[in-house]
Amino acid sequence: MALTLEAPPADVTNRTRRRVFKPAGWLFILPFLIVFVAFLLAPLLYAGYLSLYTKGLATGTTFAGFDNYTRAFGDPSFRKGLWFVLKFSVVVIPLQIVVALVAALVLDEVTGRLARFSRLVIFLPYAIPVVLGALMWGFLYSPSFGPIEQIAGAFDVRAPFLLSQGNIFYGLLNVVTWQWSGYYMIIIYAALRSIDSSIYEAARIDGANSRQIAVRIKVPMVSSALVLILIFSLIGTLQFFTEPQILGPIANGSVTPDFTPNIYAYYMAFRYAQFNYASAISFSLGFVVFLVVAVFTFATRKRGGLFS
Amino acid sequence: MRRIPAALLCLTVALGTAACGGDDADSKTAAKPTNCTNKIVNEAAPRVLVWAWYPNMAKVVDNFNNQHTDVQVCWTNAGQGQPEYEKFQTAISAKKGAPDVIMLEADQLVGFEIQDALVDLAPFGANDVKKNFSEGAWKDVSQGEAVYAIPVDGGPMALIYRTDVFDKYKIQPPKTWDEYAQAAAKVKAAGGPVFGDFGSNVPAVTTALMIQKGAQPFVYNLADKQKITIKLDDQATKDVLTYWGDLATKGLVGKEDQFTTDYIAGMVGGKYATYVSAAWAPGYLTGSGVGAGKDKGKFAVAPLPQWDPANPVSVNWGGSAFAVTSQAADKALAAKVAMGIYADDASLTDGWKTQTIFPLNQGVLKSDEFVNAKVDFFSGQTANKDIYIPAENAYKGAVYSPFTVFYYAQLQAQIVKILGGKTTGAQAATDLHNQIVEYAKSQGFTVS
Amino acid sequence: MRPRHVGAKLLLLALCGYFLVPVWWLLVASTKNAEGLFSGSGALWFNGFHLADNLRDLFTFNNGEFVRWLGNSVLYALAGGIGCTVISVLAGYGFAKYTFRGRNLVFAMVLGSVMVPLTALVIPTFVLMSNVGLIDTIWAVILPSLLSPFAVYLMRVYAAGSVPDELLDAARIDGAGELRTFVRVALPLMRPGVITVLLLSIVTTWNNYFLPLTMLSSSKLFPLPVGIGLWTQLASSNNAGGQSLWNLIIVGSLVSIVPLIVAFLTLQKYWQGGLSVGSLK
Repeated sequence: MALTLEAPPADVTNRTRRRVFKPAGWLFILPFLIVFVAFLLAPLLYAGYLSLYTKGLATGTTFAGFDNYTRAFGDPSFRKGLWFVLKFSVVVIPLQIVVALVAALVLDEVTGRLARFSRLVIFLPYAIPVVLGALMWGFLYSPSFGPIEQIAGAFDVRAPFLLSQGNIFYGLLNVVTWQWSGYYMIIIYAALRSIDSSIYEAARIDGANSRQIAVRIKVPMVSSALVLILIFSLIGTLQFFTEPQILGPIANGSVTPDFTPNIYAYYMAFRYAQFNYASAISFSLGFVVFLVVAVFTFATRKRGGLFS
Repeated sequence: MRRIPAALLCLTVALGTAACGGDDADSKTAAKPTNCTNKIVNEAAPRVLVWAWYPNMAKVVDNFNNQHTDVQVCWTNAGQGQPEYEKFQTAISAKKGAPDVIMLEADQLVGFEIQDALVDLAPFGANDVKKNFSEGAWKDVSQGEAVYAIPVDGGPMALIYRTDVFDKYKIQPPKTWDEYAQAAAKVKAAGGPVFGDFGSNVPAVTTALMIQKGAQPFVYNLADKQKITIKLDDQATKDVLTYWGDLATKGLVGKEDQFTTDYIAGMVGGKYATYVSAAWAPGYLTGSGVGAGKDKGKFAVAPLPQWDPANPVSVNWGGSAFAVTSQAADKALAAKVAMGIYADDASLTDGWKTQTIFPLNQGVLKSDEFVNAKVDFFSGQTANKDIYIPAENAYKGAVYSPFTVFYYAQLQAQIVKILGGKTTGAQAATDLHNQIVEYAKSQGFTVS
Repeated sequence: MRPRHVGAKLLLLALCGYFLVPVWWLLVASTKNAEGLFSGSGALWFNGFHLADNLRDLFTFNNGEFVRWLGNSVLYALAGGIGCTVISVLAGYGFAKYTFRGRNLVFAMVLGSVMVPLTALVIPTFVLMSNVGLIDTIWAVILPSLLSPFAVYLMRVYAAGSVPDELLDAARIDGAGELRTFVRVALPLMRPGVITVLLLSIVTTWNNYFLPLTMLSSSKLFPLPVGIGLWTQLASSNNAGGQSLWNLIIVGSLVSIVPLIVAFLTLQKYWQGGLSVGSLK
């Protein structure tokens, strides 16, 4: 199975030497383990336990076994949200990676002040809290005083409201791409920088031009970085929450309580007093994420990545 | 370096033992709340932790603390409306972390009462202050003989309108909803702005307007807590949804959500000729910069249009009350705060003069100063005397369900559908009814 | 200049334009007063210059609560960031350089746990914290932010790649204990990775919204994003009783992103190096 772990890469001689059993390792990971157990494992187990109960406003709490889970996977709201995040992933992840990859390849090729400046500017959104980023885009989308409407107004057309029911997919697509592409760009760029440039020289002697070098040599050499990014953005997108939640109040009702599974769980837990069912929704979503990532890791196994 | 793991180990042990110890809340006295936003005047007195979001709350708390030696309020703004309720809900689920006294809107009370999160204040002398409030205001916070909160402010509804638009198109404030629709058509035909707004995110307004036409969405009494009557597919609900849906699809009123910066920009720019809103609206609009600069003196208020002018019905939107949570360490003391805070003359006067609240306290509602106050936002109109006080006195109170938030979310979804032309008002009412009935059943209610 | 770079440079300019627009808007909007913001003048160009007024209002509004939030944010980010880095570096090194029973199982659990959404954890964490009386204290924010499975993963890969076992063995032969070996030999070699992790965890804590939002109810303890969130709630209902808050929210957002930008600029050469390792190996 793709998720079994091997020792991190090291040369063979090291590996044989490290077979020595050293309990001191436990001491090094102990502080982390304590935090891990206290703030992740214990809450998870407790949430898992709670998800086995059900609570009706009028009736109180009763044991339900796995009823909440069968209910979740049959719940049209949960399915609808799941369908949305899957659709969104299929579009947003390639988009981000293409933007990040192209930017990184160009930055790897071009030098000078403009390149240094661009590198920072593209990375900049990562340093802006997601909450504030979403708030800013909300202002920019505004039909009354955002620039989009004003620019369109100058040409005497009405700009589409990017948060309306029909357009919110694209409105969010833009916010997410803007927020995260720079971060991914830096990871790819760093990977590109650490490639030994003598490889390029050899290719050039063989008559390859820059574009061919980029496509045939550079991209394959950073493929493990790409896989890593993919997995992280997959996990992040399937758990999509903050941006729609922040933009919801100005979106004329486009962000429904079941917009994404995570928002649905949030509504259940904090607005409808259904914490048990909310836990089940969260775990069901976690299960789907696990499944998608596992399938994906399996498909890209040869390229390496998070779990190889 | 060596110390860090040790310290963390201690911490985990501490976490573990405390969690395993299963300490019951009663076994230890509650710690004195610290981190108060306000100054504590009397350090020795016991403290009551209060969550509230009134903009002038700092003054209100100081007034209370200066007048009391036996108790002090420790106040924090834990969020406004929904975000505060979410914190409260977390604390209820965790059985810890709630304040002693909490500010809640009237339509939210039942949802927390049914979770046993609020304390009945009747045994703590709530009925002594009953005389300070109108019958409708008191009904909003009670369940039979039980009283779950002490009202502070309310929101009797009226029609705010722009005098410049009304003058320009030569229309009078509409007395009925038929006249309202006719005026809207007239302004539109003459190339004027939209007449009002049918926002999906103010389901409380739509509900109030449904009730005005005679709808009775819920019949519920906590004394019989598993039984609820739901009626959302009645003619009144259908009519109101159809009426507003028609205005919106004909382009006579806007389809925008309210309380957004866009909506405010629209109000400033004269995009809407009227605003169907409550008595707190002048303060809200002033605070948002509406009615200032070149818009100064362009607003006035008229009574809410009626369906049947012979039998006018007064409705309410918003307004809050102070409740005591069942996690309060000293419930009698907390009840004293809930009844005493924002109930003194100084606070109430500051509240209505800064347009922060529309007070429900009869002492204020009957005071000459309040009655005859000339409201600046309405260019000196005596709005209290002419419009809001009569509306408040005629308000009969409403009955809310224990799942207001869910109901609002579903109503909002239906309004979005109506606005998008995907359903009709009548169909929306039927669908809404079925959804709410189904939800109520899934929550274990017996629905009739 | 080689001609084929013209296209590349144009592309860079376009990308810069796209990524800068919101920031430019923020900068411009920060100089406007409430009236200028809503008057419908050009959103991307100046309209009066009130930056100084806005800043003064920002730092004095409600007895300077913004300053307090700024201080809180710095405290949480430093305490959470440094603590998280220390813990993650130790753990990453331990995972990379020691073989012990259960190691792979633990590491798999750490990575797998990333997949369950945080929503499920909020109430249990709240229960846990409330049992030890830590909700609505700074610890409720700092302690959970010590946890970062990604940082551990990054440090494990980094330690494996940058610290040769021969050096460690040599130190041990010289009689150094395990901790001393780590501090004297391994840590200096891992420095770029450590700085990367430090920066990343500071950013994560600085930008943290959901956790402090649920754990804190005293506005005195809020970090910046939660505080600004509170202002947006106020602004979209009835403002501050006569004073518009939107200009403060905008200038406050600007002020709250400046420290991170400065940190990234000054520490550039360290963190870029560190990031390459997580993915390359």
